[in-house]
Amino acid sequence: MSSTPTATPPTPTSPVTLAVGDEMPVSEFGPLTRSHIVRYAGASGDFNPIHHDEEFARSAGMPGVFGMGLLHGGLLGQRLAAWVGLAAIRAYRIRFTGQVWPGDVLCFSGTVTGVREQDGEQLADLALEVTRQTGDPAIRATAVAKVAQCA
Amino acid sequence: MTDDSLTGRDLGTMTFPVDRSKVREFARSLGDLDEVYTDVEAARAAGFTDIPVPPTFVVSSAHWREEDNMVATLGLDLRRALHGECGWEYYGPVVVGDELTASRRVSGVSTREGRRGGTMTMVSIETDFTNQRGELVVRQTDVLVETGG
Repeated sequence: MSSTPTATPPTPTSPVTLAVGDEMPVSEFGPLTRSHIVRYAGASGDFNPIHHDEEFARSAGMPGVFGMGLLHGGLLGQRLAAWVGLAAIRAYRIRFTGQVWPGDVLCFSGTVTGVREQDGEQLADLALEVTRQTGDPAIRATAVAKVAQCA
Repeated sequence: MTDDSLTGRDLGTMTFPVDRSKVREFARSLGDLDEVYTDVEAARAAGFTDIPVPPTFVVSSAHWREEDNMVATLGLDLRRALHGECGWEYYGPVVVGDELTASRRVSGVSTREGRRGGTMTMVSIETDFTNQRGELVVRQTDVLVETGG
């Protein structure tokens, strides 16, 4: 099977401690294959042919098929969950800034931009990014996570 | 081309089950082998009542829409339409065995001049997911962009 899942650390079971400037462990995914794209199409229900049919993609003026934004958005979401804890995520918002192509190696990173208190909860604001091996950004994202109260 | 009259338009409601096989398939398609997404015991040990769903899982509700031609419904030109943004606000856990109802509406329409000329139209769509107890658990907001023609 060409789309071998990669190990992700288990999602923390309680809010973690985060401070401004803390970074998500940097990770990579790839090279991206058509099998990854097709597998995500089946999982998500996104059967837009531009993502799996070369002929259709070329007729739409693209060089070929490309990954759906929610594929690398989802890959980033899993890393966010593995970092801050699935149950601690309050919001996750992604902005698509460029396409990803078969053969791409994607890099995932994130940083804490702020920590604040709201309604008795300690919340961290996060900035996240997916970049291609070329350095081009494919996603810029923000997230809000509940974090452990300061001692 | 679209206009302000779209704002507030109801784009329909549908109900779908949160299925264990789908959750496993979704997590694995994203390369995640965390047992919390496949093993109920691991999920309970992690504090969930059953297997929880990945952060972006609700998008798989697309499988349950009879017709998901939102771009055409909104009067946008498919050849010039892009998915610009997607976001989720989380209000409560979603676990295997839940039944979610998704209600979708147009929450805003705006236009601005594109960098390469022509008018860009941005349509925001909100989808509320409520569970079988009537609790709002996730709100998804999408922004569709039609580039200048």
